[in-house]
Formats: sequence, structure tokens, C-alpha cells
Amino acid sequence: MRLRVIRPVVRAEESGSHAAIPLQPRRLSLLGSENVRQGLLDCTELWIGMHMTGRTEESPGSPSLQQLAIRAQRFTPRVSLALPDGLLLEVKGSLHLFNGATGLMGALAEEYTEVARTSSCALAPTPLAALLAARWGKPLVITDKAQLIGQLTHLPLTLMRWPVEVLERLARMGVRTVGQALRLPRAGFAQRFGPGVLADLDRLTGRKADLPRLFRPRERFRRRCELTYELESTERIVAALTPLLAALGNFLRARQCGILKLECLLQHRHAPPSSCVLRLANPLTDVARLTELLGERLNALELPEPVRSCELRSGALVPHAPASHSLWQPGEQGGEGETQSHELVERLQARLGTAAVYGLQVLAGHRPENAWGLREPTAQYTDTGIGPPPWAAFRRPLWLLSSPLLLQEKAGLPQRRGALRLSSEAERIESGWWDGSDIERDYYIACDIHGVELWVYRECLPPHRWFLHGVFG
Amino acid sequence: MPVMDELSRLLEHPAIWRGVSAARMEVLPTGFRALDERLPGGGWPRTGLIEILVSRFGIGELSLLLPALAALTRRPMARWCLWAVPAFPGSSFSPQTSESPFPPAQDSVHHCLLEPFAPALVAHGIALERVLMVRAPVSSPRAHSRGTLWALEQSLGSGACDMAMAWARGPRAREIRRLQLAAERGRALGVLFRPLRAATEASYAILRMKLESAASGLRVTLLKSRGGVRGSVELTLRTSGN
Repeated sequence: MRLRVIRPVVRAEESGSHAAIPLQPRRLSLLGSENVRQGLLDCTELWIGMHMTGRTEESPGSPSLQQLAIRAQRFTPRVSLALPDGLLLEVKGSLHLFNGATGLMGALAEEYTEVARTSSCALAPTPLAALLAARWGKPLVITDKAQLIGQLTHLPLTLMRWPVEVLERLARMGVRTVGQALRLPRAGFAQRFGPGVLADLDRLTGRKADLPRLFRPRERFRRRCELTYELESTERIVAALTPLLAALGNFLRARQCGILKLECLLQHRHAPPSSCVLRLANPLTDVARLTELLGERLNALELPEPVRSCELRSGALVPHAPASHSLWQPGEQGGEGETQSHELVERLQARLGTAAVYGLQVLAGHRPENAWGLREPTAQYTDTGIGPPPWAAFRRPLWLLSSPLLLQEKAGLPQRRGALRLSSEAERIESGWWDGSDIERDYYIACDIHGVELWVYRECLPPHRWFLHGVFG
Repeated sequence: MPVMDELSRLLEHPAIWRGVSAARMEVLPTGFRALDERLPGGGWPRTGLIEILVSRFGIGELSLLLPALAALTRRPMARWCLWAVPAFPGSSFSPQTSESPFPPAQDSVHHCLLEPFAPALVAHGIALERVLMVRAPVSSPRAHSRGTLWALEQSLGSGACDMAMAWARGPRAREIRRLQLAAERGRALGVLFRPLRAATEASYAILRMKLESAASGLRVTLLKSRGGVRGSVELTLRTSGN
């Protein structure tokens, strides 16, 4: 698609001259999306790559990459992590604040003095190029896109961190530097090494747009309050916490977030601080409810000494979208419980595990073990097409044991807390010869000495043992 | 007589609450006429927590509730009916632990669990699509009890349940109070099955009853009811059951 774009003309009014200055034609010519992206890349992005030599995910004794990224936000809001050992800063917008590229590099070195010996920086128009140059260890500064490929030519390909076999194959072909790789024909390259590897090269040269995920520091609420008096009673402590909780409420409201965990730390004069942790089933923003829950939790806490100061620490923030309330009360005529019913199942599953919440269904099986099954806890019940049980003449227990329990036998009768009294005729269940779990049992209803009705069976085949299989309940 | 008529019409007013009849309470028939006559309002309350104290697990406490369960799950706008499944593993059925009516919740040797038997529930008229089972972790009795009470409180208070029931060994009075408040908030019926020894403890439940086995079936004794008739009644469950 070829668009004809009218070139706008801006009149420069200053100094009295009326010269017409055409705007940059390149930015406006919409000759294709690729060109637009390339044009944008040309003029809007400049990345600093930082590489920390020898850093792994958990390097002891040094600030974490996240902490370094937070400090990098002093220079630009667009910071992203290149795990496990790199940082990327988009600095085009902030160059003029630091007297250009050299000034900015100097400021960065000042900021990161403690990691200066093990880190290196480079500046390039694409993020991958900046990172590569930083990994190389030479302080490259490339501000012009036209010079990019020329400067990258000598970089070894190992810096790309491609899989070892790709690098080995390239090395066998005599391709060891970025420049050599770029000279290879594109189609063949993609065919041999996969489109992903080619895409890496494209992102390196800026042929393909590269938008690294921006780093956002995790926010938490943390506030402390020193008490005027030492407090002992829970109500007074809650009252002292109220302003902190109100601040927490404002904090959460401003961010449209809720919390799942809140910790309250109570400091004492001598004893180690008591901690009271509130864990919530769903993201909560409501301060009144938080106060109530925290009060309840504090009530249960035994304080070794009076409290001198208290501190609130929130867990990670969770996005929270307040739902609209129903006009009717749940359970009222006209009130619909669908949303609540999903919420309930989710909440139960979140805490107890997915497998702990389930529905039941009837299966077509004559063996008690095969006559029922679990199903998803949804209200939509797919009818399995099984009519009324064929054994309606016989009673079935409300509880079934997941595996039958062996009973002792005395004088021909099964024993459990004393002799069981059989109160029904035998019901023979004989089935399952086709799938290997063949059963042949005589079921009886038995009553124990306490009046509890049990479902027991006796094996039809020797050794004729007695088993307990259900409770009538 | 017209005066009496007028008086009775006046007493029908929803704002007037009378201790004895509790006429305006929304109830659910129990399915047993003798029990309905004793209960305030003539049936199980629709909202609130009731406690059923049993001498043994399986003495017939579930059979007592079956007609009400069937009616609840078959209503057109039915909500969940939640069962916090008791996780009594195999040791519960061994003779060594006969002193406790509620068997311990852990046994490393036999790890066999109780499961509600779906065909029997269907045979008693319960609509399975409205039945939700929850099993709290069985790693330790304490964790199980805590998980069960938490699930019961969440489901009662959520507004998504018509009824929620659980077998609990030793909930504290404060926990029972919270369950009762949750049931009122979510307009649900909570049923808590507890051992008989809890009869001496005070409780916030709106209705408490004691179940014992009797010659003809089950003896139900009302321990606490708002406006019901005290005393015991014998029900025959066994022959009426399917």
C-alpha cells in the first residue's frame, strides 16, 4: 500500500524570518510498516546495555539485578532486565540531561561504583547490540544507526548466546563473528539454523523491532509508627494501627490493587518483636475488613511485653477490580448466585488445592467402587444417562470406604467394637471378570453394639474373610 | 371470637416476633412429622447454624437430613449444598480407638477415606449437580479441622450455598460464633456435627440437638431451640430409608 502524504509546512516565526521549514520527511512517509518501524527506531531509541561479569541468578553478597534496575530508573523510566546478568536502559530522552552520551556514561559509572570493576557499559541504537557490546567488554558508543553494523562486525558470535550446537556448526563453516554471520544469505541461514536465530540477527541490526519488557519494581506498603505509650491491650494497639491502616487503604486505592498478605510487626523493649501475619483468600482493599481481621488475629496473639512501636508490611500488590453488587441479597428470590458460586469454588480451591473440591456423579457400574466417580465442581451436570439404580430393592450406604477394611471374625460373625449383628439377607455382587478386578462378595447390613449400621461383605471364595465397606450414616 | 380473630391477624404481622411460635421464620420441613412438631416454625431453619451432637459417627445423622437435602437441591433456584467430607482414615474403624466417637484423622498404615456414595444419594432424591464436596487436608488432625472450619465459614458466608455441613471434633466457641454470623450473612443453613460430649459447652448455634440410637431407630433430643418444644422424640429412619 502506498500512501501519499502531504508534507506539512511549519512557519518559523522567531527572528522575524518567514522561512518555510519542511518537517522530517522520513518520519511521515508511510511506505510500509517495516519502514515506519525502522524510521522510528532510527530516531527514537538509544540503548545502554550493562553487563555484570560472572553474575548468576543468586550471587551472594552483591545487590540483586532488581535492586540495580531500581537504581537505573534514576536515568530513565525505560529499564528492562536481561536475565541473568544484564540491564538495558533506553536513554534517548535523557541524553541531554546528562550532557550527552559521555556524561551519561560517567553518571552511570558513579552510580554503580560498587559493581564498577565487574561491569561494563555500551551504548547502541538497538537493545541487543548494546547488550552484545557490553558483554564484549569494550566501551562502545554508537549513536548513529549507519555505523551500527560496521561497529558490530568484529564482535564474536559467542556473545549472542545461541545454543552450543548452532555456534559449533557456524564455527565449522568458518563463521565466528557477527559480520561474517550477517554476510550469509538470509534464506539459507534461516533454513539451517531456524527462524529464531535469524530473528536474533535482525533484532541486533534493527531490521526487526525489539521491545524488551520493561521492568517495573514491585511495590509494597511499609509504614511504622512509634507509640507514645507502651500499650498492652489489643484494642489500643488496633486503635494505634488505625492511621496506618487508613494510609494503607489510600495506597491501595490509588493503585487499584488489593493485597493477599499483611504483616504486623510489634516491637517490644526487650523481647524479640512479635509478628502477626494475615493471609487473605482474595485480594482485599477494604480497610474496615482489614481492621476487623487484623483485630481478630491480634486477639489471638500472646504478647510477651508491652508494645513500643508497630509496623505494617504488605505483601505483593495484586490487581483488584471491584465487582458490582447485586440488587438482591444472595439467596433471595431473584438473586442470582452464579458469580458467588464461581468465587466460592475458586476460593476453596485456592486454599485447599484443586483436587480437594469436587462434585460427584453416578457411573454405570455394578461394583460399588465403579458405581460413582468424581467430576468438575460446576453446576452444569452432564447427565450420564444412567437411570434409577437397578438395585433399588437393596439399601446402599451413604458413605463408602475408599478401600475395604479387614474385620476380625469370631464364631462366624465379623467383629468391630464387639460382635456385629447381621440384619439383612445377603446380597451377592459378582462382577468385573472382564477387567481383572473380579469381585465375588456377599454384602450384609450389620449393626454394631452402638447402633451404627455398617455395610459389610464376606468373600464368596476362600479364605472367606469379612470386610467393612460402608457406613449407612 | 372476632376479637381473637383480630388478635391472631395482628400477631401474624411480620414485625412481631413471638418466642413460642416463631411464626414468621422461614423453615424447611424435615420430612419427619414428629420432629417438625417440635422444631420452632415446624422445620429446619433456612438461615443459621444448627448443631447436631451424635454419640457415634454414622448413627443416622445424615439420614435425618436426607429429606431436607433432597428438597433443597431440587428447588429451581438451588444454590450449592456443600459437604466438608470427614477424612476419617482407616484407623477410625479399628477397635483400638473406640473411646472417641470421632475417629482420629491420621493413620499411616491404612489410609482409607470415607467418600459419600453417589448412587445412594441419588436414590434418596438428591440432585448431584448441586452437591459440592470439599476435603480439607488430611496431613494432621489439626490441619484437617482448621481447613474444614475455614471451608465451612467461607461457604456459609459466600452467599453461594443453601446449606453447608461439616463434621468437626472440637471447634471453639468463637469459631462457632463466626460460623453462625457467616450463615446469617450468606443466608445459608450450616450444620455442624459434633461429638456428644460437646453438650455441656455453651454454643451460639440457634438449634442444638442430640442424637442417640434407640430401639426403633433414632432418639432426637432438643437441647436448645429458639421457641421450640424441649424434650425428645423417637424417629424411625431405618425402615423408611431406601
